[in-house]
Amino acid sequence: MAFLKAIAVLTSALALVQGSRAPEYQVKAVFLFNFAQFVEWHAPADAEARRAVVIGILGDDPFGAILDATLRGERLGARPFEVRRYRQWRDIDGCEILFISRSERDQIGEIVTGLRNRPILTVSDTDDFARRGGMIQLVTDKGRIRLRINLDAAQAANLTISSKLLRVAEIVRSSKR
Amino acid sequence: MPLRDWPIKRKLTAMLLLISGLVLLVTSAAFVTYQVVTFRQTTLKNLSTLGRVIAANSTASLAFADEADATEILSALRAEPHVVAAGLYDRDGRLFARYPLDLPGDALPAAPERDGYRFELGHVIGLEPVAEMGNPRLGTLYLKSDTKAVSRALWLSAAIGAVVTAVALLAAYVLAGLLQGWISQPILALAETARAVSTQQDYSARAPKLGEDELGALTDAFNQMLGRIEAQQYELQRYATELEQRVGERTHELEERNEELRRNAAKLLAANAELDAFAYSVSHDLRAPLRSIDGFSQVLLEDYRAQLDEAGQDSLRRVRAASQRMGTLIDDLLKLARVTRAEMRAERVDLSGMAQDIVAELQRTTPERPVECAIAPGLEARGDSRLLRVALENLLRNSWKYTGKQSHPQVEFTTVEANGDRVFVVRDNGAGFDMQYADKLFGVFQRLHSAAEFEGTGVGLATVRRIISRHGGRIWAEGAVDRGATFSFTL
Repeated sequence: MAFLKAIAVLTSALALVQGSRAPEYQVKAVFLFNFAQFVEWHAPADAEARRAVVIGILGDDPFGAILDATLRGERLGARPFEVRRYRQWRDIDGCEILFISRSERDQIGEIVTGLRNRPILTVSDTDDFARRGGMIQLVTDKGRIRLRINLDAAQAANLTISSKLLRVAEIVRSSKR
Repeated sequence: MPLRDWPIKRKLTAMLLLISGLVLLVTSAAFVTYQVVTFRQTTLKNLSTLGRVIAANSTASLAFADEADATEILSALRAEPHVVAAGLYDRDGRLFARYPLDLPGDALPAAPERDGYRFELGHVIGLEPVAEMGNPRLGTLYLKSDTKAVSRALWLSAAIGAVVTAVALLAAYVLAGLLQGWISQPILALAETARAVSTQQDYSARAPKLGEDELGALTDAFNQMLGRIEAQQYELQRYATELEQRVGERTHELEERNEELRRNAAKLLAANAELDAFAYSVSHDLRAPLRSIDGFSQVLLEDYRAQLDEAGQDSLRRVRAASQRMGTLIDDLLKLARVTRAEMRAERVDLSGMAQDIVAELQRTTPERPVECAIAPGLEARGDSRLLRVALENLLRNSWKYTGKQSHPQVEFTTVEANGDRVFVVRDNGAGFDMQYADKLFGVFQRLHSAAEFEGTGVGLATVRRIISRHGGRIWAEGAVDRGATFSFTL
């Protein structure tokens, strides 16, 4: 009993510490979950069907417990969700959606290039992520979160993004350098 | 006019119209109900289709919190003018986007209620879950449509039903007007004939027969009845005529016979009068020679007694007796004739006093007779006193005479009431008579006793009867041999 109480106090204290960032990442956690519904991976059915949908976080985790809480109990079809955290992009194995933390903003180009052609939906809220070859960039605009999608990158990874998702997003191309 | 007094044509038409109207009404009601139910279902289905499309389109808007996109999707509802309000709620039940944009805040529910499509307070309400296929729910779409389409369908089908009903009723009215004749025509013809028969007494009329159905049979029966009545009437008339004719014949016959009787009576009266006159003159004329016979016989007996022997004298005495008897007869006959011819004077007559006088006279002439007389006092009558005295004297003298062999002779004069008439009665306890000869008593020269037994001429009772008849009365006699006689008369 005392133990449970301690945890409750701890989590509320944590929420207080995180302050204004909490609603933003709460929304982003939901978005991550929702992306799964509007993207098709074209994976070999049998092998993947039973596996969990893996949402990976590369670099420092800005969500804390939020993402796990959001995904708890949710399923994509019959598949449950699983959160994995990676320090190195090279550690990434079977992963459907990869959120790249701002801590990795200097290696974006390297990561995107490294993961090119792999069926991983890359998502990040770093600046210029979509133009630099990332697939979905979360843009905060006047307190609201907008989507910016690099369709070419997604197509290159053989991912199909639902037209519905495209309609609520701004579509950009990789900038030629 | 009360329903039962309607003419049969109108009744039939009303009946047909009522039935077809009822059928049409039920059919129309069923049609309208079916239309409305179908249209409601269609409306629900249409709205749910619309809801599913909108919901499918708005998944991303909800998933990625894009209000502008959601509003744009909802604005597509402009194409469906019946949708008056729409709203998108997020997964926590907060209103996310609305349609139309100027919708007042309270036009949409604060939070979505249970899913499904239904009619509610004059609107169609739809709540469609918003979710990407097979995935967790993202929110709820709320749709509100007016029921103008439904009510328009209702009015349209009601109008169609009304028009169809009206047209069909009109057709039914026209047809009923044409077809009711099938039934009403024979009945009307029958009624017309019956009226003609009862008002004009014309039994030769016949109802026209229009078919072989029950009405045809009725018409036949009616016509047969008329035929029978006609025949019977004819028969009756024939009998009446015949009877009249027979009565006429009989009347004529009777008149003829009456006339004949009258003629005969007149003839008889004339003959009677002639006979009376004859009898009178004969009697009168006979008296002179009779007196000569008697007178000369007396002369012979007195003056020539010496020349006649005893036998001759006896013969002459017999001649005298016979001629004297003949004289009495002639006197009586003359009296009878006089009674018949005498003038009648009507006056009040004291019959009791008259009877007393007669009895006193009889007692004076035959004092040796111890006759007991009972004469009722105060008997009066109206008539001719002279003739009534003759009649009463004859009756009392008869009684006096025929009680001659009685040891206690009794004579009574009184009156009795019979059938409202006053009847005078002369009764005695004398020789009486056999009732068998009662009708002969009053005939002239009719005698029931020999002259040796009781002397008399046989004219007295005839005279009495004639006197009573002349007074308009009646006389009759009752009696039995040796038991006395009773003579009754009215005046």
